[in-house]
Amino acid sequence: MIAAEAKPLSQEIVDEIIARHPDKTGDVLSVLEEIQDRHPLKYLPEATYDDVAQKMGVSRSQVLSVITFYSFFNLKPQGRHTVTVCRGTACHTRGSKPLLDGLKAKAGFHEDDEEGGSATSFTTPDFGLTIRTVACFGQCALAPVAAIDHEIYGHVSDIKLRKLVAAIDGGKGS
Amino acid sequence: MRIHDLDGLHDIRRTGMMKLLPGKPRIGVGMGTCGMGNGAREVLQALGQALKDQNVDAQVTPVGCFGFCAAEPLVNIHIPGFPLVVLGRVTPDDAAAIVSSIARNRPPLEKAICKIEEWDHLTGHVMYGRGLAEVPEWNEIPFFKGQKKIVLRNCGLINPEDIEEYVAVGGYHAFYQATQKPNANEIIEEVKKSKLRGRGGAGYPTGVKWDLLRKAQSDQKYIICNADEGDPGAYMNRNEIESDPHMLIEGMLIGAFAMGATEGIVYLRAEYPLAVQRLKHAVAEAREFGLIGEHIFGTTFSFDIKLIEGAGAFVCGEETAMIESLEGRAGRPRPRPPFPAQKGLWGRPTNINNVETWCNIPVIIARGGSWFAEIGTTNSSGTKVFSLVGKINNTGLVELPLGTPLKNVIYDIGQGSPGGKHVKAVQSGGPSGGCIPAANFDVAIDYESLAQIGAIMGSGGMVVMDEENCMVDVARYFIEFTHSESCGKCVPCRAGLDQALRILKKITAGGAEESDIADLEELGQMIKEMSLCGLGQTAPNPVLTTLRYFRREYEEHLRAHRCRAGVCEKLYLSPCENSCPLHMRIPQFLELTRRGQLAEAAELIWLDNPLPGSTGRICQHPCESQCRRNTVDASVNMREVHRFISDQVFDGPLLAEIKARLKAHRMAPTGKKIAIVGAGPSGLAAAFYLTLLGHDVTIFEAREEAGGMLLYSLPQYRLPKKMLRQELDVIESLGVKFRFNQKLGAGVSLDVLEAENDAVFLATGTWKAMTAGITGEESPSVWHAIHFLEQVAREEPTNIGKKVVVIGGGNAAVDSARTALRLGCEVTIAYRRERHDMPAIPEEVIDAEAEGVKLMFLVSPQRVVTDKDSRVSGIELMRTKLGDFDLDGRRRPVSTGEMTIVPCDNIILAIGERPDAEPLRRCGIHVRENDTAAADWVTYETNRPRVFAGGDLVTGASNVSSTMATGKDAARAIDGILTGQNRFAELLQTFEVPQVVPEEPEGGARNVSRELTPEQRRTSFEEAMLGLTQAKAEAECSRCLRCDVHELATVKE
Repeated sequence: MIAAEAKPLSQEIVDEIIARHPDKTGDVLSVLEEIQDRHPLKYLPEATYDDVAQKMGVSRSQVLSVITFYSFFNLKPQGRHTVTVCRGTACHTRGSKPLLDGLKAKAGFHEDDEEGGSATSFTTPDFGLTIRTVACFGQCALAPVAAIDHEIYGHVSDIKLRKLVAAIDGGKGS
Repeated sequence: MRIHDLDGLHDIRRTGMMKLLPGKPRIGVGMGTCGMGNGAREVLQALGQALKDQNVDAQVTPVGCFGFCAAEPLVNIHIPGFPLVVLGRVTPDDAAAIVSSIARNRPPLEKAICKIEEWDHLTGHVMYGRGLAEVPEWNEIPFFKGQKKIVLRNCGLINPEDIEEYVAVGGYHAFYQATQKPNANEIIEEVKKSKLRGRGGAGYPTGVKWDLLRKAQSDQKYIICNADEGDPGAYMNRNEIESDPHMLIEGMLIGAFAMGATEGIVYLRAEYPLAVQRLKHAVAEAREFGLIGEHIFGTTFSFDIKLIEGAGAFVCGEETAMIESLEGRAGRPRPRPPFPAQKGLWGRPTNINNVETWCNIPVIIARGGSWFAEIGTTNSSGTKVFSLVGKINNTGLVELPLGTPLKNVIYDIGQGSPGGKHVKAVQSGGPSGGCIPAANFDVAIDYESLAQIGAIMGSGGMVVMDEENCMVDVARYFIEFTHSESCGKCVPCRAGLDQALRILKKITAGGAEESDIADLEELGQMIKEMSLCGLGQTAPNPVLTTLRYFRREYEEHLRAHRCRAGVCEKLYLSPCENSCPLHMRIPQFLELTRRGQLAEAAELIWLDNPLPGSTGRICQHPCESQCRRNTVDASVNMREVHRFISDQVFDGPLLAEIKARLKAHRMAPTGKKIAIVGAGPSGLAAAFYLTLLGHDVTIFEAREEAGGMLLYSLPQYRLPKKMLRQELDVIESLGVKFRFNQKLGAGVSLDVLEAENDAVFLATGTWKAMTAGITGEESPSVWHAIHFLEQVAREEPTNIGKKVVVIGGGNAAVDSARTALRLGCEVTIAYRRERHDMPAIPEEVIDAEAEGVKLMFLVSPQRVVTDKDSRVSGIELMRTKLGDFDLDGRRRPVSTGEMTIVPCDNIILAIGERPDAEPLRRCGIHVRENDTAAADWVTYETNRPRVFAGGDLVTGASNVSSTMATGKDAARAIDGILTGQNRFAELLQTFEVPQVVPEEPEGGARNVSRELTPEQRRTSFEEAMLGLTQAKAEAECSRCLRCDVHELATVKE
């Protein structure tokens, strides 16, 4: 089922979104944001962004440059559910790093922190779950903060987060 | 609906006022994202339901956030005739009671935190009502005291999704006024007069910037609102937009009119969905009312606002990068000039201001520039909103007149750090800012003062850090952030930050060299000076300020491979181990004991700490405050288990085996001779390890027996001499030689020791009592605690009277008091601060009280009162009260002028001890101002090569485990210097301990030691605490959460 979803977005949807942004090439960001949001796996397949480049009259390199520059855009399919751990400063002072590390370890991701360590998104092979970080949710008074599918949870502990993740999809999510 | 003129505006104002003061109760629920994250939505629903259930007629409205995030969800209630009451931490369960109180026409006060009788919206005014004397006015409670709401003037009081409520409090009137000026230049003059400076961080004068755009010639000009609040740890702009979006729109309208712009863009970060939604709604409302669009107010002025969502790139907060982004490209900054005012978006003149700058504009126009300039300081006018977060009790949004001292924010408004922990620093201004240490908390918050100490105002993030935050880790965190957010266009920033990050990672992993710090500093300067844009130019600030103010922490990582905060995980085993001065492997001895491997557990504790019986009884146990089990119920009673193991050895058949096991660790003789001066805990610890390392060790002791303060100062009921002597016997059995009655400078000379030995370790302690400086203290009836305790320890008569007052609050004070009590005295402890400030072990204070010791707080000794025969008859104390906070966050005791005399016939001064520095000075050892010996803090070597010093002699009076730790660390260093090898680690044999973490907390409630009753205790010097039973000790071990086991993640195939 997942594999079936990992395909370019339909031409009609792309056309419809571009049509709502008639004016300037300045709308490349907004168009890509909307398109990614419409994709069931929340990413931008190559064929889709090629399509955008052509239809908006900007070069393919410019589109790709935008996609790779902003952390919001994904070139890889994302999981059906996303846990986002905030890495803002207030969250950091209240222990969001161990929280993230523990969550990743539980989901089976191991990465040597001293080398590389720049990846900000991890998706399970079955596309069930993506773990990612955000620079700051601006919910600093609730630190540490995590979001599950855009629902914000404050004062999260490792035990609380583990329970929240286990409860996704009524326990089937992870 | 369209407003054409002032009359139209007034009509809407009247309609809006009917909503704010509807003539019936109004309930406002704070519906910012923070409030909703704390359950405000559920509260709103529950209130609506309760109104229906109880058939009460009241209006329920979502409002924005009033700023006190720590008390969310906030609900405000206004019943006609009463003040508006703000309730905090409201839950859905409170709804029924709130509504039934409203039904009785009484404001519900159960959760009231403050009230508002009238509110000056600055552009308008609302009178709620007077009364409710029992509830403090909003600006009387600590969180709001000293705040001044200009930007946040409407936040939390009006419905952000209702333009009519905004108009009701004078909204869009300033804009109308502006459009009626014959010359738009007048607006710019007003803004100039206000001296408003850009609130995004750089602080450029807004009026001057506006003037540039006004003068620029073009058929098309743009204004942009920078709402890409990218600083992690800051959320002022989110709340400003969520709570009062129209003030932003009005500010932009006025700016557009003044500068002649026809199009405005709000660049808002996508991480703020509610702000996006509210602003979209507000723009649509403004358009519907004719405030945005063509020919506004029937003039020639037309203006439209477009909202663009950012896509998660910090650098886009930089104005030229933002323009790039708006033109559909990656947000890489452009060199300036040309400045945006000359050539900005799409090559047209453009002005960019931060959200908060725009939000100030309507007030400046309504009240006048000079009114605004009166607030704050001469060069930093007005207020600034700060997000006060991190390790602080009162988190929230704080709006302050500029120039307010930082310590007011941290201690008065913020009420310090949770759990009474010591606030260490504040990071102001996000990744571009700096870490301000507590010692600088008297700095005024304004652009210039903050810049002077290496920080910046920035956009207003204030992240508070306490003793559990590592400053090197903080620097690494920020560099990781700026490194990943660097656009990569210029080399200094891209490659420089990469190098800086590599070094910081090395330091936090304990693998760095001393030259790395100099490299880091040099890199920081280079990146600052040579980067293209603000990101790179400011990115090194967190590193440079932490290096400036917290260099010792860097050195601890580098030289001692320690992270005292317990953050850098490669440098510690577990929080308890890390907080233990001796770094005992606590989780491991707990696990060994739990599994019944007592001999192994004993061997382990002895190797980590050669005086386990003493420390198991009297240690200050810092481990407990760090124990993660505290988050479940209560910390593991580690010290008692430690004692249990030691008691099992001394009271059972294991002693010979343990001695043999320890002896087996002794390395082959090195032929090196070491002299130790002082047989206190520090000297004993050094001797133990140096002997095991194969050296020939002799301890020279001034008194006639070993043990130092443990023997001569610790009362028997806490530490029986018999037990201590058994411990000393173990040390002696390993081959340590003792020579008694040998005093440095009297019986033994440093020159001789130096000549006859390969190294000398001085640990002569702090045996000189400090004086109080009060009249009459030289009386023979006034004791110094150490002299009194030594007299009792030697079982010599004290002839102490019936009534005793002990001055002080440390362990020596409590020991003296309980000792005097046992000698039959009536005892009072008089301490100058409050109970929770007492440095003594809290359990000791509780026990003392139970035995009958009286405690007096907030009193300061003034003079010894004597009778006509010159006998002490009392002590005169001055009663104090708590005044201002000092920089450490403690309130200074200040005089109340009230004096009191406590009758007594003896006084014991327990106000501290210091070393006797004379013998050292005579030997040419450098001595510090407080008479302690100057020694390197890692090697403990003094200015005389091969002469080392440790213990209280170096640190000043401390406690048993800290002083032993210096002996242990010195032994490591001495061995390293004498042998040129690092052999110490070999000594600390590892033990096989299963690496299994309990799935759920086990072991039940905390187990405590058996003890004698207070009645039994108060007349006897018998040991008061009897230790854990075997069953309880084992149960206690199973309570450990095993923080020493680092869950190893597996790589998925």
